Amino acid sequence: MPGTADDDLVDLYENAPCGYLSLGPDGRIVRSNQTLSGWLGLGPEQLRGKRLRDLLSIAGQIFYETHFAPLLRMQGFFDEVALDLVRADGKPLHVLANAAERRDAEGELLFTRVTLFRATERRRYERELVDATETAQAESRLSRGQLLAEHETAELREQFIAVLGHDLRNPLAAIDGGTNLLMREPQSEKSQRVIGLIRGSVLRMSGLIDNVMDFARGRLGGGLQLNRSSKPLALTLEQVVGELQTSYPERRIELNVDPAAQLAADHARLAQMFSNLLANAITHGAIDQPVRVDAVLGPGGLQLAVVNAGPAIPPAAMQQLFQPFYRSNPHSRVQGLGLGLYIASQIAEAHGGRLDVTSDATETRFTFRMPLSDGPA
Amino acid sequence: MTVITRNHVVTAGAGHRPMIFAHGFGCDQNMWRLVAPAFEADHLTVLFDHVGAGRSDLAAYDAGKYSSLDGYADDLVEIGRALDVTGGVFVGHSVSAMIGVLASLKAPELFESLVLVGPSPRYIDAEGYFGGFTAAQIEELLASLADNHMGWSAAMAPAIMGNADRPELGEELTNSFCRTDPAIARQFARTTFTADNRADLGRVTARTLILQCSDDIIAPEAVGAYVRDNIPGSEMKVLRATGHCPNLSAPAEVIAAIRDFI
Repeated sequence: MPGTADDDLVDLYENAPCGYLSLGPDGRIVRSNQTLSGWLGLGPEQLRGKRLRDLLSIAGQIFYETHFAPLLRMQGFFDEVALDLVRADGKPLHVLANAAERRDAEGELLFTRVTLFRATERRRYERELVDATETAQAESRLSRGQLLAEHETAELREQFIAVLGHDLRNPLAAIDGGTNLLMREPQSEKSQRVIGLIRGSVLRMSGLIDNVMDFARGRLGGGLQLNRSSKPLALTLEQVVGELQTSYPERRIELNVDPAAQLAADHARLAQMFSNLLANAITHGAIDQPVRVDAVLGPGGLQLAVVNAGPAIPPAAMQQLFQPFYRSNPHSRVQGLGLGLYIASQIAEAHGGRLDVTSDATETRFTFRMPLSDGPA
Repeated sequence: MTVITRNHVVTAGAGHRPMIFAHGFGCDQNMWRLVAPAFEADHLTVLFDHVGAGRSDLAAYDAGKYSSLDGYADDLVEIGRALDVTGGVFVGHSVSAMIGVLASLKAPELFESLVLVGPSPRYIDAEGYFGGFTAAQIEELLASLADNHMGWSAAMAPAIMGNADRPELGEELTNSFCRTDPAIARQFARTTFTADNRADLGRVTARTLILQCSDDIIAPEAVGAYVRDNIPGSEMKVLRATGHCPNLSAPAEVIAAIRDFI
């Protein structure tokens, strides 16, 4: 322990919890304390004669000379300047520095005092703040860009779909109208058969276009909007059976439905779903066996079963039946896009119902069940 | 937005030969506050801030235009023409020395004399050329600016608040001094320290004085000598002043040297 007040002041200077430097009028170090020597690994005799900038990295020197040196000259001081000193072992010493000039009565510079405080933690914290700001800015730029791109893509997609739908449906409507006109006039038996085939193809194509449009618009999977109304169930089902029967006159379709049953549902969607199920049964069912449709409307809701005979669906395929673009035989040309069952299941879901399938060697049965009216609209 | 407000152009004094003073990288026109007033009795003095510095219009900052010193030189030409300067004296510090050289090539009628204080046509060493810095050192500088490690915003703000010891520096002045938008400062640093204007020196036709500091790490004496050797008919005066800012540290010596020359 120092014994006198002077000793105590010397000790305070040498071992203060901060570094001290005094620079002569030429900017060279004339005095420094032990604390700074300990931090830097440089003794007082090694520091003497150096300039403050000699303790900085090259980058730090440029910055010091262009910013802090003029600031010191202009103001006579600087406060809380962040500097990175270079220690004897080459590692950086992060400090905050305060400096003050002392001038004589004539304004001549006598010396400059510099006080240095370690700021390693603070520097790390500041660095993290800067990094976080930059990251946030980059992410914000990125997400803005993505939003914009997605918006443009969505707009383009809507335009494309609208044009595509228009361009596909118009010629189809013309063909449909043409066959209607022909059917009003007497035709040979062969012509009648050909017209029937054409009308079947028109129907199938119309259904495919509907499916593709629904899928492309991304309106499935929760985006499907229902337009419910209460109508006789038999009317909707009979219309679909009639259309498909025209296309497949050689196939037998048995429809069992209560002619008086009224159902609150989106009948256009219901018809689309049923048409997909029925077409699927006709395409995959045994040619020599009828396709049976059983519609039962009870207090528990609607149960609509479409049943065909034929080989069982392999268990592996059962898992994927309702996935979009699933086709049992990818090379088949008659199966369409593989959207029919997917869309049927989406329509079932939109009605608060579900679509199930069972399949064995005897029969394959698709069953649509929906509650009455209190399902989500 | 006129060029006068864009560059915060300040004129004083009157005389037959206008003098335009340009500040370098780091601070603003206050760099000249100890030098320019000495010439007001005999000259119109013109001080300005480069766009992005001091009290210039930051909204006028265009990263493309100011990615080369030509953008700054174009501004200088505009200022000179707006003030009808012909046959004037240009005094440029640090990077502005080269900006003045470029402006004098673009508009030779502006300046009959150039005073280049601490000029460097290229800071990075090249084959057969000593600039004082390696490319790696300059990259380190630019990276450290990007890191905000030198205390741009956090440490500068308290440093320029209030000034009880030197009340003659009003608060308005101290607050604008060395104030720079960090993003702009980074770009200005890149433009400054990666420039190479060696090829332009030989085309200078104005009378040229190089004021070279002793012990200037940013523009060493060898670089000043290179400028002297490559600008036809130029002369170099080595100042006793040390460091990179003799206009602040030794204004009397700078004033005397300029006066002798013009």
